[in-house]
Amino acid sequence: MTIDVAHQGGAMPAPRLRRKPNVFQRIVRHWNDYTYIAPALLVMLLVIAFPIYYTIELSFFKTPANLSMDKKIFVGLDNYWAILTSRSFWDVTYNTLIWTVFSTFFAFVLGLGAALALNREFLGRGILRALLLIPYVISAVAASYVWKWLYHSDFGVIGALSVQFGFTDRPINFLDNIYTALPAIIVVNIWKEFSFAMIMLLAGLQTVPDQLLRAAQVDGANAWQRFWHITMPHLKGVSMVTILLLVVTNLNSFIIPWIMTGGGPAGATDIWITQIYQMAFGRIRFGMASAYSVILFIVMMLLGYFYVKALTRGDEAKVG
Amino acid sequence: MAEVVLNQVVKTYGNVYAVNHVSLTVADGEFVALVGPSGCGKTTTLNLIAGLIEMSGGDIHIGDRLVNDLDPKDRDIAMVFQNYALYPNKTVFKNLAFPLQMRKLSKSDIEAKVLSAAKVLDITHLLERKPRELSGGQQQRVALGRALVRDPRVFLMDEPLSNLDAKLRVQMRTELKRFHQDLQATVVYVTHDQLEAVTMADKMAVMNGGFLQQYDSPKNVFDNPVNMFVASFVGSPAMSLVPLEVVTHGTDVALRSPEGWQLPLSAANARKALTSTTAKVVLGARHSTVKLHTTQTPGTVPGVIYTVEPTGDITFVQVFLGASVVIVSLDPSVIVEPDQKVWIEFDQDKIHLFDGATEMALAAA
Repeated sequence: MTIDVAHQGGAMPAPRLRRKPNVFQRIVRHWNDYTYIAPALLVMLLVIAFPIYYTIELSFFKTPANLSMDKKIFVGLDNYWAILTSRSFWDVTYNTLIWTVFSTFFAFVLGLGAALALNREFLGRGILRALLLIPYVISAVAASYVWKWLYHSDFGVIGALSVQFGFTDRPINFLDNIYTALPAIIVVNIWKEFSFAMIMLLAGLQTVPDQLLRAAQVDGANAWQRFWHITMPHLKGVSMVTILLLVVTNLNSFIIPWIMTGGGPAGATDIWITQIYQMAFGRIRFGMASAYSVILFIVMMLLGYFYVKALTRGDEAKVG
Repeated sequence: MAEVVLNQVVKTYGNVYAVNHVSLTVADGEFVALVGPSGCGKTTTLNLIAGLIEMSGGDIHIGDRLVNDLDPKDRDIAMVFQNYALYPNKTVFKNLAFPLQMRKLSKSDIEAKVLSAAKVLDITHLLERKPRELSGGQQQRVALGRALVRDPRVFLMDEPLSNLDAKLRVQMRTELKRFHQDLQATVVYVTHDQLEAVTMADKMAVMNGGFLQQYDSPKNVFDNPVNMFVASFVGSPAMSLVPLEVVTHGTDVALRSPEGWQLPLSAANARKALTSTTAKVVLGARHSTVKLHTTQTPGTVPGVIYTVEPTGDITFVQVFLGASVVIVSLDPSVIVEPDQKVWIEFDQDKIHLFDGATEMALAAA
């Protein structure tokens, strides 16, 4: 926000009578504000705007495998066409959606459950809260390797336990089976992300006014009704933000699938980002990978736009 | 409506007594104010009646039912909270309907009850609004309405006016009083503002440190405070308290100050003073019963004016009698100056005497 010192205090100026200054005039008038943000703006241009521009540029070219970019060939929209008509793109998109929807849903629900539990007072709450935070603070790479071993068909604890308790005759080959690989890594992702949802929701829960809950109690609401009528509406804002962040994180996931399965077996766990990485740095097809990235960029911007719009719709109506 | 009976009610937190063996009876249709300073246990007592916190001991009856182990919803009470506690995501209509929905009333019943409550409180035009679109006074009325629709046996109110600005508070005070008169409702009302208690309540229960100090009509509490705490808490400005010592000269009894002046006591007051457990006695006097003289006259004691506070129709003067302050009210036409030497005359029929050790009011033996 800029503070117009000339208009602080004193008689009310008559801004309505003055014609709205054009963009250039406004920039000139506030030139010192712009100098303050100029360094940050320059860094942002360098590390964000330029890569975005360059990615978009490359997406229209066929790039040589030896990466001598002066020999790249302009192909127009061919890259996009090739991607959108390929079967693998839709398979990968399907995987990504499954990955995102299930991860987000269960991370949120488990996080909410954990937050509700931790919001009550009981012995050992502090320790439990710290324990439940571990998945979030642990390195994703380390966690992925640990889980890979837990799932291992020959040495994995999970397989051994399921045999010992008689659930299965022999250890399940979680990560090498096209039907179990994706669910298996989704479980890891949920485990990793639910503590994030838990922290967010716990913070939200702590702002639910005690008096409202008491009022509802006197009004005859039972625990479930208090949760539904008081707590949930109060958590709406923080829930929307949490879900948005989870969806964006999950659509952009890379570490867990890449380390645990590398997109395999037979592409069963390939999702957008692993696919792009594979295309760019595995098959050295930067033009193709760029086009892929641009498509994702557009999809996510649209998603974010509609989400934020839905999120703020109620507020605008009240202001206007 | 119903009466509320508290019998030896106790609430402890660890070793701390928040409510210490409180017994009182709120008669059917009575407006009772629980009043006291912060932390005196008044809100805890209210929450115990509501059932929002668990008692450590004692019994509570509402009507003919023992409610010790009943949930708040089964006690047939309604509560109005300090911050109104309106459900922010619900419209006024839905706020009022909520307690009825929880009781699974039919839709048409709910609508009829909500509309009639809204009519009583003059909030019909607000029914479709959300709480945040209402002013403080309107929110207060909605909160009252939510209590009203239930048609409860007892209304419990927890400092319902303390969030309003001064002007609105006075206005809502009048409305609440009227509300009580019209409904003949049993009301238990918590406030830290003794003026609210005095103006609205049929009876006031003055609490301090978890103990019920005095439970009587505001007039009796004002006229005959049982101890020094009640004397100094009720009334504005507070009763002046002057610690003195009893001395006897044959059959005559007087009070002597550390500075050396003596105040001879009337026969009735002398009998009271002699019941004190020690020679220490505290003299209490309300500002309106004290006279100020600018020249020495018999039966007066000397003092020095500290401040003069004109309020328009009355001027309050604080006078130092040695180390203690006595407040005197004067007609604004009387001109006095700070640091002026003056003489104070106490009305022997209207002074209060307290035991200097036990702080209890002294009565004639």
